[in-house]
Amino acid sequence: MSVEPLQLFWYFGIFIILISICGVYCILATFNLIRALIGFEILVKAATLLIILAGYLTGNQALAQALVITLIVIEVVMMVVAGGIVLWLYRYNQTIDTRKLSNLKG
Amino acid sequence: MVSLFILAPFAAALILNLLPKALTHRLAFWVAAGLALAQAALVAFHPLLFWSAYPDPLGPFFNLQFSLDGLSLVTLLSIAIVVLATLVAGRYTITEESKRFNFTNLVLITLMGMNAVAMTTDLFSLYVFLEVCAIALFILIALKKDKLALEGAFKYLILSAIATVLMLFSIALFLLLSGGVSFSVIYGALSGSGGGFLAKLAMGLFLCGLFIKAGLAPFHAWLPDAHSSAPSAASVLLSGMVTKIPGAYILMRLVTSVFPLNPQMQNLLMFVGVFSIIIGAQGAFYQHNFKRMLAYSSVSQVGYIVLALGCGTPLAFAGAAFHLFNDAISKTLLFVNACCLEKETGTVDMDKMGGLGQRMPITNFSCLVGAFSAAGLPPLAGFWSKFIIILALMQAGKPVYATVAILASILTLGYALVMQRKIFFGGLADGLQQAKEAGIGLVLLESALALVVIAVGIGFAFMYNNFMLPVGEIVF
Repeated sequence: MSVEPLQLFWYFGIFIILISICGVYCILATFNLIRALIGFEILVKAATLLIILAGYLTGNQALAQALVITLIVIEVVMMVVAGGIVLWLYRYNQTIDTRKLSNLKG
Repeated sequence: MVSLFILAPFAAALILNLLPKALTHRLAFWVAAGLALAQAALVAFHPLLFWSAYPDPLGPFFNLQFSLDGLSLVTLLSIAIVVLATLVAGRYTITEESKRFNFTNLVLITLMGMNAVAMTTDLFSLYVFLEVCAIALFILIALKKDKLALEGAFKYLILSAIATVLMLFSIALFLLLSGGVSFSVIYGALSGSGGGFLAKLAMGLFLCGLFIKAGLAPFHAWLPDAHSSAPSAASVLLSGMVTKIPGAYILMRLVTSVFPLNPQMQNLLMFVGVFSIIIGAQGAFYQHNFKRMLAYSSVSQVGYIVLALGCGTPLAFAGAAFHLFNDAISKTLLFVNACCLEKETGTVDMDKMGGLGQRMPITNFSCLVGAFSAAGLPPLAGFWSKFIIILALMQAGKPVYATVAILASILTLGYALVMQRKIFFGGLADGLQQAKEAGIGLVLLESALALVVIAVGIGFAFMYNNFMLPVGEIVF
């Protein structure tokens, strides 16, 4: 690795770590179902960025782009299903607070 | 030709949804069951050479590579049997016709995902198809659309999402380290450099993701919730195969062809395995809900497979593959029993059942067979795989782990007997005067699965020589 890509790696690496911390904090700190999903999306964005960076540094941009596009499609599908489940939960409970989601125990 | 296993279920799901409803609602079950049967027959009767003789039609279009070996064949066979059982169970327990149609389609999509996972040769496709399974499963769990089902599905969804993120980070790190995502490229890069900090981080993240998806002990919280709220037929699929794919098959594939086992990872795997065995077995003891108990039992049985993987000898791998097959069959059998009991009594609370042995003799017998196989009683299938695993542990010089495995087996026998007593023995409980055997389809399914368990136990030598030893050989 020459000097410039290494620097790039560190800039991006620190940024990716910051985004991940934001995402983890978002999931841990909230009691809101939608916000938990948003935190998850933030985490996925960090992973996406890391894939792009890895592809650039190793000279595999085409592969990295293909992976990222596939990944985005899957995340959208997953979010649609998650949104549907949250919507139905809201219809039953009239709230999207995780503390109210405690019917299953044992 | 191997991509037929993926294309056929996908095409079936597509076509079933395009044709007019009046036709497909009746056809769906038969199409899906036919596919599963065909898969079981093809895998059981054709040698490996048959599959590699024809070029893959998908190759030029998608740049995906699939390959088959002994381990994939065992997994494909288990998948086919479990999917067939799921379809039959769904046909007789889900009463609403449109829901049953959706159920069949989702099972077909899960079948496609699982088949692809069992044959893929790169990490990213692995992630993609695992997600295909997981998303179909979220909807299957929430199929009843009541409060509890949605809650169980959401818990699974969030934990599965976290597992996804961990696996994605790991894939990105592997891409950074090796410049590719296929198994062979990563293997080459890791064995060349020996593995620095980033390599260890990537492996750890991927393993954590798999542990969550498999419901192993520190991350097992979602599994009982998802099982107890899902429709019983969906539980058959979830426990029979979907948690075993990441917990057993993918782990086996990874430690053999992606990152070689080192002592640290062996210790980690063995510890997680033993921890799951103990937590699962003791969790199962205190349950009143039949399906929750089976879910905990599932945690404990996947623990055995992971323990054997951590041991790392060829004998242990053969035992792990054998236990994968056996536990898939016996858990499927037990969950089909749960289907019958829920259909007839309208509850899964074991305290409200009792004395059903005279009313449902076949369910009683098959439940006994499934539970004893899970506990590892001698003539049944589960005994042999547990025996091989414990033998391998002793050979590898891990007597402590072997002892724990034996003791946990006794614990398993304990809760199996408690379950039998609560449900089937004693006087008939109140409100169950109408209970009888749950229809010819489910009874036939139960008897067939129980027969498979007994036959594999008696014809153990045949199974072991033809399916399990090749696994051990391919691995090394």
